[in-house]
Amino acid sequence: MPGERAPLHGGRLGTAFVAPTLAFLVAFNVFPLLYNLVLGFTSAELVGGGWEWRGTANYARVFADPQFAGAVRRTALFVLCAVGLELGLGFAVALALRERFRGRDALLTALLVPMMLSPAVIGLFWNLILDGNYGILNQALGALGLPEPQWTTDRSWKFLSVVLVDVWMWTPFTLLISLAALNAIPSTLYEAAEVDRASRWTVFRRITLPLCAPLLGLAALLRTTDALKQFDLVMAITGPNDERTQTVSTLLYQVLFRDGKVGLGSAYACLVLVLVIALATVFTRYLEGLRRSSA
Amino acid sequence: MRLLRVLVLGLYACLALLPLVWMGLTSLKTRDDTIAPRARFVPVLARATAPDSAAFPATLEAYGALGTVHVGAEQSFWEHLGHSVVIGVFSTLASVLLGTSAAYGFSRFRIPGSKDWLFFILSTRFLPPLAVVVPILMLYRRFELPGTHLGLVLLYTAFNLSLAVWLMKGFLDEIPRAYEEAAAIDGYPLHTAFLRLIVPEAATGMAVTAVFCLISAWNEYGFALTLNHSGAITVPAYFAGLQGNIEGMPWPQVAAGALVFVTPIAAFTVLVRKHLLRGVTFGTIKR
Repeated sequence: MPGERAPLHGGRLGTAFVAPTLAFLVAFNVFPLLYNLVLGFTSAELVGGGWEWRGTANYARVFADPQFAGAVRRTALFVLCAVGLELGLGFAVALALRERFRGRDALLTALLVPMMLSPAVIGLFWNLILDGNYGILNQALGALGLPEPQWTTDRSWKFLSVVLVDVWMWTPFTLLISLAALNAIPSTLYEAAEVDRASRWTVFRRITLPLCAPLLGLAALLRTTDALKQFDLVMAITGPNDERTQTVSTLLYQVLFRDGKVGLGSAYACLVLVLVIALATVFTRYLEGLRRSSA
Repeated sequence: MRLLRVLVLGLYACLALLPLVWMGLTSLKTRDDTIAPRARFVPVLARATAPDSAAFPATLEAYGALGTVHVGAEQSFWEHLGHSVVIGVFSTLASVLLGTSAAYGFSRFRIPGSKDWLFFILSTRFLPPLAVVVPILMLYRRFELPGTHLGLVLLYTAFNLSLAVWLMKGFLDEIPRAYEEAAAIDGYPLHTAFLRLIVPEAATGMAVTAVFCLISAWNEYGFALTLNHSGAITVPAYFAGLQGNIEGMPWPQVAAGALVFVTPIAAFTVLVRKHLLRGVTFGTIKR
């Protein structure tokens, strides 16, 4: 008898505990996937019934559509910039917060607040901060003698604005995980390094960074799966149909709900889902490895 | 090194918190003061201030105006907040109940393919709302669910189950099996042991899980925007609808409403601060 890990019972009672949840999830997740697949081959529209089979015409259009390719590229770039900055900044702030001082826990809690707030609501308010003419950001930049770009309307700044607001919202997340990673490093390692008179840089490169890497990887993956869905902030800052900021999700919104083209939109959605499910598989494998190594 | 640390922390704390402070100040202004060509950031208790001064007369007008119905909307902020509360509370209750039961099943029983099921449950979290919403909308139309509380409650329950199951499994795994074994020796059936012993023991975990479910239902925007065009519109969708308002954005009301909307969430964040790490990593990191 392996003791602790052995199941109490097999069979029916266990099924009764999990079945409602699984049924619910299958209904709300598997059904849309299959229905999407069907819709992608039709000419369905958002209003009015009457579909026709269109075969692979929607897919032919999607693959030839530079807008879709652009949205995919832009989403990838967004993930790269936002998640990269969040990891770097979060880790840097975690290093600064590592040592205990009076009021540290209170400060940390306050710093974590932005990630818990509604991106749609807070993103909307950011428009006032970023406004080119009366926004507080530009007034501060002007006072310092720095350039004052039109953050949300200038073609070359919009994308960066969305990235910056995302970084503001989600750096707390990478900060929290980085701090946990740093706290888990056994102090004996640092003591040994001191005995060996290792330089600060060596200690950082040989001890701190490698030992934090698995959790930083987890943070990167969690943020990536979330950033891939980026919708709320783009909607709030530039709207869904801006050529500089359109992500995959906002493109879907434009095609499905503004243009009402459900058939075409579902073909887009299916391709997006294939990408997302592939990434989710990579992610869950990583998680499994992490759990096994920490168990 | 110490100086660098203080510098990094100070600068970051300013950048992180100033936008929220600015929101608080904006909520105390009149609309003209929010778009003054020279920023006004010192609230004073006066009837008026010089046009180019940094001081502005503080007023609670914006909070009072939250009861008015804006052009293009059908309900006031308070009514939308009510929809958010109803949808958030009921979907949270449902996800915690279902999630706890499922997590208990996975924690204590031999379920065929349990690992695959658990990862299936987690992967539902990764689906972009916009990629799955149309089939749900079409299904909902058959049952006249668009625009109702029930529609979003069901959807948010499904959406939050991944979080609830994973978090609760972490909490339940920590409760020793000795509880059930002792109950079995005393002749209690397992479901009695579950309700009388395990559920009370897991109460903290359930409360933490509830807070995280509530927060994600409260903040959700993609489904809210696309499923409910009238009726039970939640606050994020309502605020987004104010964009492009012909009267210009009512900034003081937006700030006041946003503040009212995010305050409970900030309070909950403080309440569950010890469990934040667990919450945001689906229970992967325990401490």
